[in-house]
Amino acid sequence: MSDVVLNDPAPQTGRQLTLVRGVWMLVTLVLALMAIFPLLYMLSIAIKAPTEVFKPNLIPAAPTPGNFLYVLTEVPFWRYLLNTFIVSAVVTVVALFFHTMAGYALARLRFPGREAIFLAMFSTLLVSLPVIIVPLFILVRALGMLNSYGGLIVPAIFNAFGIFLLRQYYLSLPRELEEAAVIDGAGYWRIYWWVILPLSRPIIAALAILFFLANWNSFLWPLTVASDPNLWVVQVAIANFKSQYAASWNYTMAASTIVALPMLVLFLVFQRQIMDSIKTSGLK
Amino acid sequence: MTKISNMPAGWSRRSILKGGTALAAAGLAGLPMMGRAFGQDSTLSFWQFYAPDGDVKPQVEWFVKMVADWNATQAEQVALEYVVGSEYIGGTKLQTSFASGQGPDIFIISPGDFLRYYNGGVLADLTPAIEEAARADFPESVIANRMVDGKIYGVPMEVEPMAFYYSVKAFEDAGLNENDVPQTWDQLLEVGKKLTTTERYGLLFETNPGYYQNFTWYPFMWQGGGEFQTADGKSAFDSPATVQALKLWQDAVNSGAAPRQMLGGGGGDIVANLGSGYCAIQNVGIWGISAMDNNAPDVPYGIFKLPVPAGGKYVTVGGGWAFVANSKGKNPEAAGKFIAWALASMAPDSIQRVVDWCTVAKSDMPPRNSALAAGGEAFNKGKMGIFSKEIHPGTRAEPRVPPEVYKIISDAIQQTQLGGADPQAAATAASQQLDAFLASYSGAPIL
Amino acid sequence: MTEILTSVAGEKPAAVRLTTRRREAIAGYLFILPDALGLLVFIGLPMVLAFGISFFEVDGFGSFKFVGVANYVRMWGDPLFWTTLKTTLVFAVMLVPLLYVTGLGLALLVQRTNRFNTVMRAMFFAPQMVSLVVISLVWQLMVVDKLGVLTRLAAAVGLGSISFLGNPNIALFTVTIAGVWFLMGYYMLIFLGGLQDIPKEYYEAAKIDGASPIASFWYITLPLLRPTSFFVLLISSVAAIAGAQAFDLVYVMTRGGPANSTTLLVTYIYAQAFQYSAFGYAAAMAALLVVLMMVTTVFFFLATRGGRFDNE
Repeated sequence: MSDVVLNDPAPQTGRQLTLVRGVWMLVTLVLALMAIFPLLYMLSIAIKAPTEVFKPNLIPAAPTPGNFLYVLTEVPFWRYLLNTFIVSAVVTVVALFFHTMAGYALARLRFPGREAIFLAMFSTLLVSLPVIIVPLFILVRALGMLNSYGGLIVPAIFNAFGIFLLRQYYLSLPRELEEAAVIDGAGYWRIYWWVILPLSRPIIAALAILFFLANWNSFLWPLTVASDPNLWVVQVAIANFKSQYAASWNYTMAASTIVALPMLVLFLVFQRQIMDSIKTSGLK
Repeated sequence: MTKISNMPAGWSRRSILKGGTALAAAGLAGLPMMGRAFGQDSTLSFWQFYAPDGDVKPQVEWFVKMVADWNATQAEQVALEYVVGSEYIGGTKLQTSFASGQGPDIFIISPGDFLRYYNGGVLADLTPAIEEAARADFPESVIANRMVDGKIYGVPMEVEPMAFYYSVKAFEDAGLNENDVPQTWDQLLEVGKKLTTTERYGLLFETNPGYYQNFTWYPFMWQGGGEFQTADGKSAFDSPATVQALKLWQDAVNSGAAPRQMLGGGGGDIVANLGSGYCAIQNVGIWGISAMDNNAPDVPYGIFKLPVPAGGKYVTVGGGWAFVANSKGKNPEAAGKFIAWALASMAPDSIQRVVDWCTVAKSDMPPRNSALAAGGEAFNKGKMGIFSKEIHPGTRAEPRVPPEVYKIISDAIQQTQLGGADPQAAATAASQQLDAFLASYSGAPIL
Repeated sequence: MTEILTSVAGEKPAAVRLTTRRREAIAGYLFILPDALGLLVFIGLPMVLAFGISFFEVDGFGSFKFVGVANYVRMWGDPLFWTTLKTTLVFAVMLVPLLYVTGLGLALLVQRTNRFNTVMRAMFFAPQMVSLVVISLVWQLMVVDKLGVLTRLAAAVGLGSISFLGNPNIALFTVTIAGVWFLMGYYMLIFLGGLQDIPKEYYEAAKIDGASPIASFWYITLPLLRPTSFFVLLISSVAAIAGAQAFDLVYVMTRGGPANSTTLLVTYIYAQAFQYSAFGYAAAMAALLVVLMMVTTVFFFLATRGGRFDNE
């Protein structure tokens, strides 16, 4: 851990030090409050009465849960939450399964063309969805998967990001563990299942959260592939909700809060893991 | 580790092979199975933005009752499917459904969208289902832009002329009364300016790009004698009348009287804007009456017809949506029969249905002569009376244009109104683009 | 199995090694098969398809017509295409440096590990947990003309009545700020990871030599952060030019308006395909983006010698 630079007032007196620290912390605090202000604002409007929405006071004069009740009873939000959960969970589990397999092979097994295959996979890393959305839509239509869970799930599974991170992780594992298994005569599947997977628990946990989060919050693909309201995920539902209740910002913010809340709770619980995994994802 | 070493060596390869085969099978054969099977259900889907989940109860009831009445007596069942209005009009949902080959069997379109679907070959010919007497019951001005080569491809449900609404309270606040209602463009801008405060705009024109914005802009172009195309199919967009119409909207925004953004559902949403006090005067159609009566009954308002430019003549635009059938749907013939039964039969209940839609569910002018007669006093009293006597007589039907033409005109409006472009330059540029497009256009006539 | 194992030390080493190697190769192929197939079908194939479809006119009702390079000719002559290309670049030129500065700045601000900073980091990162759809809606509400909380604030500090999303000269900037606000927590974490990898001894040595904090930032931190910086610049550039995040933000906040002033290339492609049903034309523009992205990736791969971000 490096304690660096700007805030390292070395040879000063104790009082100066405290003062600098105090100002430093104050600045940080103000910026942090600005960072979460929109979220607080969302919550504030969500519990305001409609007549109060555009009043400048942040704390409602008469807080009401009415907006939440309205949203949950007027719109099948439970259905949307369930759809989103199913899609996110299935994508996460299947993707982790495939990616650990691929990552293991790319890191530990020798076969002709391995580097070329990795290069090809790696090159898809920077192909973002908006670039291929038009042909992908046409392809998925040809496969008959529009307006289906399959259409929502299958294309979302394949992502080089996870493969890349897992490969890097497996490269860093000591070879001895696996070699012991090889000498004992274990097949590759057994090694993968009994040696590699248990060793990957920390990174799998981190990736699971990231994948789930990404899918919970994804908008463009579900918007494009599923026009059937029964298949809507929360992000599409909320955008649509805004269209329908455009005049009622209090409802829209209540709905937004409902959509955001599960992820914010997840964050409170797994804060460390989430932040640690992102911290390392850029580098290793 | 010793445990592992006892396993037979071939195990891993076989199981991987098996697993791989299963995956490949899932990849190749399994995927279509994960898709939903369409086409087994023969119920005709009817997409619109009113029912069953709409906000205005009488409109929901009208649609629900119509479909229930039909389903009670007919073998081919119809089911309503609701799409949020702004998504239906400004979004991508309907287009995407057709691009997916899963378009609805029955849906509603405005004249602005007619050619996209007609030229795409998905509108069914409804003529065989409509009796001659009913055909003659629709005035030429109402039915013409739903016809091609003498055949009917859409049955209008309403006629919706545009006007201005004003807030009585905002007028009073500014020391104005009904005698100050503007009659010329100059007065309109002046009054709009007077009504503007730090929390309220004086005068609201639609600002979101879309068919609707073009629709609301056309009358200002027509009032000075402007057109977007000549009789022989060339662009007429580069004209003084067009330029002054573009400039009117630009001036309104530049003076600070007109907003750059609207609340709620946009310029057609009178309750969210005029009703909430966000603006004092709003350019809205006849449907504003029922919207205000239903959702903002405590806000007193007045109506006046579109002011005219110096040397111009009064004209407004009449929009309105039409029922159409998907020629590639499950049963286009039955869909056509349903539409004819609902809106275009000489049976008394069909005529009454049109009257109910235009008086009970909405406040609209009826598209049929018989309905106008049957509705009688309902169309002549109160605020409806202002429309039927003063505003409606100058109505010209909404043009039907292909999406490319819509986009060219829309960009010209947006660039001048909000982008600050020079109106003359924008008109000239649009006109050149129009000429280029019209020269290669080969679809049904643009009207 | 035991046969093979014992024979490793035995008579026929060459043949045995061959078998082992073949088995390993087969296993390797099978392990990567699902992902390789999936990436091929759902990313590789669409990239190829983009080129294929770009030579057709697709009308939105399922009919295809071969039109040669007509879509590319149209692209060349379409003023809106050039406008959106320019808007995309302006967006990227604003977003990327802003993200770099805010990300690094916040990381430096909270890099000392203590309880206070842990809470601060969480607060900076919290917006990342919320979707861009929700974020865009909240921002939309905060900048409503005349009545929004930020609009009122701007008027109160004497900036006058600003239309943050209604004025074409300002709208793109507003969208960018919302984007920076959303993304900065993520980049803060990436930079924190980078800062942690810098050995503490360097700073101690610099301090003994009497280097000022600014000097050690300039001569130690920045140079040693190069791999992180490179990663951040690349990822944020891709996000700005073709990212789903940029799309979500614009789609919900402005739909590309007013007067097309916030229409990014990705927004325009989407609108041409799904609003105007011009799938062929949209595919032609997408094909151009594919080329752009491929060039970037190859450059990236070569520059990092196979995706390694270390410093050698």
